[in-house]
Amino acid sequence: MAPSMAPGDYVIVNRWSYKIGKPAQGDVVVLRDPENPAGHLVKRIASLATSGGYFVVGDNLEASRDSRAFGPIAKDLIVGRVWRHVKP
Amino acid sequence: MALLHPILRALDRVRPAPVARAHCDIPCGIYDPHHAQLAAHTVVRMNLLIKDLPHPTPESTMEQKMEFHAKLGRYVATKEQHAEIAKHEIRILWGDYFKPEHVQAHPGLHDLVFKAMKAASKARQETNLQAAEDLLKATNDVAEIFWQTKNVPTVRAKAPYPTEREIVVPKLG
Repeated sequence: MAPSMAPGDYVIVNRWSYKIGKPAQGDVVVLRDPENPAGHLVKRIASLATSGGYFVVGDNLEASRDSRAFGPIAKDLIVGRVWRHVKP
Repeated sequence: MALLHPILRALDRVRPAPVARAHCDIPCGIYDPHHAQLAAHTVVRMNLLIKDLPHPTPESTMEQKMEFHAKLGRYVATKEQHAEIAKHEIRILWGDYFKPEHVQAHPGLHDLVFKAMKAASKARQETNLQAAEDLLKATNDVAEIFWQTKNVPTVRAKAPYPTEREIVVPKLG
């Protein structure tokens, strides 16, 4: 997510944000890694896919592994919206 | 937020929070200029084969003419493909491996990569032995810098390929 985020930053996630509302374009979210369920990713919602899933991308497009690699993600995989982003 | 970070870090030590990865290129750390060098040698070789390919004459049979066109097609296709491979491999080294400190230590690196890209494009577009030679020189120079950044000594030797051109190889072990 460079340049907006860097290794060592903390994010506080609102797990309830999408219990009522829906992810919106531009939201920064934490999601379970579709290719490694034990891992988490932080990405930005780019768009709602026609399949009903969400297309997520990293800000660092050159290096990010995101929906361009693993396709749109189901809402269930989204842990929550990044509520606060804390830099050192 | 400057105050919040140490608090969160302290909390993280007591009760570690899950890590959310943002930059997700798999950091394999395995880089090698050899693919680029191999591709550049191939481009040189294809130029030599194209140059040496006997042209059909009006007396040539249909089979001979067909063979000429088939071989020429293969050589040209391989030349273009490997020029593109060389570009791709050099781009990976440039984009993923080389760090600002490497550029500081080797200020000519950006210019060298630029030359390699231009030579490769020219070698792909044209049947141009000089462009292929320029590409090979540039890939060898990139290889030399690459190994220097790893403190691995190199040697310039005649490659054991039909091109009989130079190759930069690391002295390992």
